[in-house]
Amino acid sequence: MSAGWNSSTRAPDAEDIASCVACGLCLPACPTFRLTGRETASPRGRIAAMRAVDEGRGEVDGSFRTMMDECLACRACETACPSGVPFGRMVEAARAQAEPGRAPRGRLGRRAGLVWLLPRRRAVMTAAWVAGLGAATRLDRALPRRHGTARPPVRLRELARPLPRAQGDQGPAAAVLAGCVVSVAYRPLLRATMRLVAASGHRARMTAPGGCCGALAMHHGHPEAAQTMARQRIAEVDGADVVVVNAAGCSAHMKTYGELLADDPRWAERAARVAARTRDVLELDLAAREGSVGAVAMHDACHHLNGQGIREQPRALLRAAGGEVRELADGGRCCGAAGLYGVTQPELSARLRRLKAEAIAATGAPVVAVANPGCAMQITAGLAEIGAAVRLAHPVELAG
Amino acid sequence: MLLRPPSAADRFRALLDDEWVIDAPLERLLYGRDGSIAEGEAGLVVLPETRQEVSACVRLAAELGMAVVPRGSGTGLAGGAVPLEGALVLALSRMTRIVEIDEDVPCAWVEPGVLNLDLSEAVRHLGLHYAPDPSSQAACSIGGNVSTNAGGPHCLKYGVTSEHVLGLEVVLAAGEVLALGGPAPDAPGYDLRGLVVGSEGTVGVVTEICVRLTPNPPAVYTALCDFASVRAAGEFVSAVIAEGVVPAAMEMMDEVMIAAVEQFVGAGLPLDAAAVVLVEADGSPADVARQAAVVQRVGRAHGARMIRVAADEEERALLWKARKSAFGAVARVAPNYYLHDCVVPRTRLVEVLEEIGRIAERHDLVIMNVFHAGDGNLHPLIAFDRRNADQVARVAAAGRDIIEACVAVGGVLSGEHGIGLEKRDYMPLTFNEDDLRAQACARDALDPAGRFNPHKVLPGAARCGEAVLEAGHLPEGTWL
Repeated sequence: MSAGWNSSTRAPDAEDIASCVACGLCLPACPTFRLTGRETASPRGRIAAMRAVDEGRGEVDGSFRTMMDECLACRACETACPSGVPFGRMVEAARAQAEPGRAPRGRLGRRAGLVWLLPRRRAVMTAAWVAGLGAATRLDRALPRRHGTARPPVRLRELARPLPRAQGDQGPAAAVLAGCVVSVAYRPLLRATMRLVAASGHRARMTAPGGCCGALAMHHGHPEAAQTMARQRIAEVDGADVVVVNAAGCSAHMKTYGELLADDPRWAERAARVAARTRDVLELDLAAREGSVGAVAMHDACHHLNGQGIREQPRALLRAAGGEVRELADGGRCCGAAGLYGVTQPELSARLRRLKAEAIAATGAPVVAVANPGCAMQITAGLAEIGAAVRLAHPVELAG
Repeated sequence: MLLRPPSAADRFRALLDDEWVIDAPLERLLYGRDGSIAEGEAGLVVLPETRQEVSACVRLAAELGMAVVPRGSGTGLAGGAVPLEGALVLALSRMTRIVEIDEDVPCAWVEPGVLNLDLSEAVRHLGLHYAPDPSSQAACSIGGNVSTNAGGPHCLKYGVTSEHVLGLEVVLAAGEVLALGGPAPDAPGYDLRGLVVGSEGTVGVVTEICVRLTPNPPAVYTALCDFASVRAAGEFVSAVIAEGVVPAAMEMMDEVMIAAVEQFVGAGLPLDAAAVVLVEADGSPADVARQAAVVQRVGRAHGARMIRVAADEEERALLWKARKSAFGAVARVAPNYYLHDCVVPRTRLVEVLEEIGRIAERHDLVIMNVFHAGDGNLHPLIAFDRRNADQVARVAAAGRDIIEACVAVGGVLSGEHGIGLEKRDYMPLTFNEDDLRAQACARDALDPAGRFNPHKVLPGAARCGEAVLEAGHLPEGTWL
């Protein structure tokens, strides 16, 4: 590690930085460059900033932090890059560098959530009950609403209903990730996932509810916490023939477990094995229930399109279930959810949210397919903002 | 060295919202480069959104004694947008409005920050497109295209940018706004529009452009021809044109380039070919059929191992994506590249390519070729790693050898990327003292104080009437 980096945590790799020739083909693909026109909000600019620090010509200062915070980590630049620059992992490392110098107030809250709460799945479930009670008694309305309106839709009645932990008794063993947000706020999706995975010839077994894959911590500058959560999940799912994940951000992240724990001799091998066996649920050969789904607008999660290359599968699944897929006329631009982006960059996030909601409403479809809980919260809020009555559902819920 | 006055940022903040005046060191550093390997230092960066704001910024720069470097998307390949000596960078990336579309001419008035491909997408529903299509068309701006007089694969048939710019609005050094040309066919007086196109930001800032739009061709034929030697591929290109056919595009890629690009696009390019030529013909169905027959016949006669004809629009787009990703894919070979842009007579193409091969060998370097074969516009890319000082010295020497080899057969320095900083000191190879003086006088007539993009295009700090043949100074570290 060289020059201006803090040696106590990860830093962007010098060879990764050298793999950018600064051609600029990423610029039009980057939502924040499109919104602002600023090189400082572009992938090429962010890499130039990393290069400057790496070469000792710049330092991790407020400018650096803002540039990395403004990034959605949607990885649309990776899809556009002819040289295959691995931007996602570079910006994660750059954020790990940016974290220590943050102002205490925001930093403490983030640490509490990312480093203390998420690795404790029982605490996650307890927090869910508290949020559910708050929503049921409407006490939550007394809380200040600082940032937009995107929040997990936690319902007490849903929390009280047990989840199916095992379904199907034939075929390969499939470990279905319960996840953190999904298992507290999108429980019908988990039920649908178990049903469909089992119906598609697997012995489906669900991991413990509340267990986070660590993606959020990784995206927001806490790689050590992400490693802790990766070890927890690996311990739960190792041994299964396939690890099934129904949230785009989580499947994309779990596929990097091998890299994440490469330097940990006790876990590296298991991590690589789990990563290799991880599949987004939409990558499975799913037996769609014949039905009449009808017109459905298709929202692609960034972490499906970019990095995982999942685009055709959800469309095929919906068509098999009688769906008429309607494309959004926005070229798959990020909805602005992007983990904690709504909190860290409320203004840019709100602009992207509105653009996405308008693109969905413009299709005229009564339902939109959304395969990531972060996107789902953001899009729910966006559709409410513009007063569009469009229902959200995961493709698995529509087809299962 | 920074020449800007200390209070400059505050003065500009009185003209623009704070967000659009960039002063923090790390943020300014990002504007020190474009798509080339030259690097300078921006004293300050401003992002105006309107003609009035551009004019006000230019006026204030004059008052503060700051040089002004206009910048589009920063995809330029010759260092034209690289600021020297703490100049003010005027980034036009917020001026992205398509102001007006006139279907009858057909033409469009656009702001300089509109991206080339965005314009074509915006008029697709009218059956029109903007014809010049640089490989970077997804990212480069129309303003930047005007500035470099950009080309592109389809310029073989349709002509380069200057043939598609009907009118311009330009802000000059004192902030005055000039209107040059327009949709009418023949404006009286001097053709100052022609002077501004290709002037690389050295005479003023273009704030609006009237571009010609071109009807989409009714039929298109796209074929990838695969050859076992570069010589055969080069002779094929000349032979097609000698038959009286001018295809819409004829693009060549050599073996090293094919391998790098294929890793990205997965288009099924032949990895064992010495060279491929991507040929496109367009026009009426009958005309396209006739051209396609010539391509097939001449291809076979020159030993094409396979002629892959795109079956549909999807396959055509994939083949073009392969071609247009070439520069960006170079990092799969080495982290930096030094790119040349010479144009040589088509009949000398093969001999120059072979000479470039020898130059690569002599300097022990990897040189990749991807270029507009139809008009003899070469793009030899010397791949290198700038962290390797010994290699960098060899790159500079090889670059000079390539240029001299091209000039020796009657070639010119640049087909479409411009002269900027990187090719500036080679200008005396193709222009004599009188030529250069005339060019300096033309520039100075519009920008008498030398306010716009100084040190670019013409060697030395040449002013009108001065001898300009000596190499000029560049700050240490700007260039190889």
